[in-house]
Amino acid sequence: MDEHDLWIRNHVYASFVGTGTAPTPRDAASELGLDEDDVAAAYRRLHDAHALVLEPGSSRIRMLNPFSAVETPHRVEARGASWFANCAWDALGIAAALHTDGSIRSECPDCGEPLELETRDGDLVRGSELLVHFVVPARRWWDDIAFT
Amino acid sequence: MVFLRSEEHLERWLGANGWEPGASMSATTLNELARRWWWTRLEQDWRPRTAAGSQEILDELGLTGQFWRLA
Repeated sequence: MDEHDLWIRNHVYASFVGTGTAPTPRDAASELGLDEDDVAAAYRRLHDAHALVLEPGSSRIRMLNPFSAVETPHRVEARGASWFANCAWDALGIAAALHTDGSIRSECPDCGEPLELETRDGDLVRGSELLVHFVVPARRWWDDIAFT
Repeated sequence: MVFLRSEEHLERWLGANGWEPGASMSATTLNELARRWWWTRLEQDWRPRTAAGSQEILDELGLTGQFWRLA
């Protein structure tokens, strides 16, 4: 991953945090003054390096971990804005990445009951009674990151 | 990975999907893991963490054993 790809990656993250929408290669190319094909190639390299996740067979962004570009059961509010997270871990990761407090609305996958968590000054001040479960062992997380 | 209400809900959810149990932790532990894992993600000088660096974070939180080995 070279400096050029990191520059594109940083732009994509900043754009997503600011707007809640992941830029397409065309969007990012226009914003950065680059060629669309070059940006699409950079997206692919960043995907291969696990620096973002594309939809299968596409240059459309699905994940900017810990953020999700698609709707999920995990919604996070922080800094007066909201985003979807990919999973429980990422839901707690959004406020951490933003260095701020956050509120999470999720649901129990067994019963569908709404679950609420809140972090303040880095501590989990609501939802500490909840359990978290990892089905997939660490060495296989990237085999199918969407399932993980 | 998901949040669940309790062990009872976890067992029912795993059974309904036919999945073997993996690993559980408290939401409090996951919050600490998330803070350490994601803290630098939006910084302009972010660089990919090495596998050894990621493993070290897991180890520091007591997430050891075969399930938590990244490679």
